[in-house]
Order: sequence, then structure tokens, then C-alpha cells
Amino acid sequence: MGRAIVITSGKGGVGKTTATANLGCALAQLGHSVVLIDADIGLRNLDVVMGLENRIVFHLVDVIQGRCTAQKALIRDRRIENLFLLPASQTDDKDAVKPDQMKALIIELKASYDYVIIDCPAGIEQGFRNAIAGADEAIIVATPEVSSIRDADRVVGLLAAQSTPTRLMVNRISPAMVKRGDMLSQADVIEILALELVGAIPLDDEIVATTNKGLPAAINGRSPAARAFAELGRRVAGVDVEEEVRETGVGFFARLGRALGLSPA
Amino acid sequence: MWNEIKNFFVGARRSTSKEEAKGRLHLVLAHDRAGIDGAKLQELRAEVAAVIRKYVEIDPEAVEIHIERVSPQDSQLRVHSPLPTRPGVSAG
Repeated sequence: MGRAIVITSGKGGVGKTTATANLGCALAQLGHSVVLIDADIGLRNLDVVMGLENRIVFHLVDVIQGRCTAQKALIRDRRIENLFLLPASQTDDKDAVKPDQMKALIIELKASYDYVIIDCPAGIEQGFRNAIAGADEAIIVATPEVSSIRDADRVVGLLAAQSTPTRLMVNRISPAMVKRGDMLSQADVIEILALELVGAIPLDDEIVATTNKGLPAAINGRSPAARAFAELGRRVAGVDVEEEVRETGVGFFARLGRALGLSPA
Repeated sequence: MWNEIKNFFVGARRSTSKEEAKGRLHLVLAHDRAGIDGAKLQELRAEVAAVIRKYVEIDPEAVEIHIERVSPQDSQLRVHSPLPTRPGVSAG
């Protein structure tokens, strides 16, 4: 029996879809079978982030409403073994799906795959309710900003109410800004939200560039964010669990360069 | 330029925007978690003051109420009320 993990945040634009894509790639590269579900009905994006948008035939709502089987709707990623995408419908409404139907679909998928990763829409309404319904656990994505952390805390409360174990992924940390005292550190976010940390992803231009190409950074990537996503995958899979998540620091030369105006802050 | 050099050797400034963010978040989250906004809290304050006044003679305007964070998980409702120094003498 596999594990179903929902990636959620409350606030939009903090990197849920990117985190879903990269966590899926990282887990598949560790040898696990993975299904990614885009639960953002009407605003699908996981397909473009994964670079699989041209191969969609069926989608989540087709499966839920019995127009095709789940197996038939899954798109196999040709770059990594055992990685599949179930895209969202772009034309349906959020209430085309009910929480109980999502639950049943996820139970079906967990029987054949090691991980089912659900990309949750922003907000805390129907789409969110559907996305968390079948999840065994949750990963909250938060950036080190007041608005993101406030919304994350609301979602933590809602997940606690249905007893879903929840961990934290801090996204887009700028080590230089943390050093300067102008950004909350991952330790600050952990303290405020009182959650266990499962990943800390540095701010990295490479994410924008790889998303442009539809090639998730975690696929053989060597950039700082790619390595952090690989580490996230290992922690989720329970490998390297005794190792602390690295605090992304700023070295002497980076500080020297910044002080001399040679490198960006 | 001097500040840049100083920061480089001494490290970050004392009062940082990060500390401000933390302080504001702690306060906002304490209210969010309790489900009490500012208006509700003032309503509660007035009612609590009226109840205290049934037992002790106090100035209702001097009663203060606020939500305080005691640990990452827990917040407390704190009520501060003056009491008359001698029974029967108004503290107001």
C-alpha cells in the first residue's frame, strides 16, 4: 500500500506545483513508483511544469465520472522510470469532484503505486477539501514571508482538525537576505508554525529556467534547488532521516563580495 | 560605505525587518488561532469589565485585555484590571 501526500499552502504562488513536480521526480529517481495528481481543476498547471502538456488525453474528472479508468488517464513520464501524471481538467468546475470520490480514487492508486502526490489548489474552499480528502499526510509549502506563513498556519489548523500529519517545506530562502536580517530563516518559520521541517529550498534562478523548458530541476539537476529537492525526496522516503536539513548559509567570500559590491545581495 | 564595512565586520544590524516580521506574525497568529479579531476582543473587554464591576468598584475603562503567546503552541487571554487600594474607595 502506497502513501498519499498532499502538497498545500493556503496562499497561491508559493511553489506548490514546482514542489510537487520536483518531489515526484526525486522519489521516482530513488526507485519508487509515483503518481502525481493535479487537483487544481479549472486551473491546471502541473502538466506544463512537468513538460507533459502535449500528451494529455484524459483527465481527473474523466476518471472520477467513470469516462475512463485511472490507468488509461495516467501519462507516463519518458525521462524517469515509474513516474506518472494524472492531469486536472481545464474546463470543469471545482465541484465536478467530491471528497469521497477523491478518496476512493487515491485508495485505488495506492494499491499499485508507492507514492501518490497531490498538488492542491490555493485557497481553503472546495478544491482544497477535495485535495486533502484522501491524503495520509501533508507537506505545507511556505515562503519566508508574513502572508505565506499566516495562510500556512490556517491550513495547518484545518489539517489538524482532520488529524492529518503535517510537515513543512520552506521555499525560496535567500541565504544572503537571511544573513542580513531581512528574511525569516527556516528556523524562524519552524518556530512560528511549530511544524517539523522536511525540506528547505533555496531561492534559485535555475527553477525559472527549468520550468520554462518543462524539465523539473530535480531531473539530474545540480543547482542548489535541485539538490535541495533531491534531499526533500530522501527525507520523504525516509532515507538519511538522521541527517538534519541543512541551513543554507552564506560563506565568507559571498559576504566579502557583497560588501565590496561585487555580487548581488 | 562606512556602514557596509561595519556590517561586514560586525554582522547584521540590531533591529532587523525579520524581527519585525516575527513579532507581527506571532500577534496575528495568536488572534487567528483563537478566532478572535480586534472588535470581538473589545466586546469581550467591555463585558468582562462589567462583570468585575458587579463585585468590585473599578473604572471599566482601565480594564485591559489581550492575547499573549506563551509558547509556539499556546496563547493565553490576559485580563488586567485595577483593584481599589482600600475597600470602598474608588480606584478610578
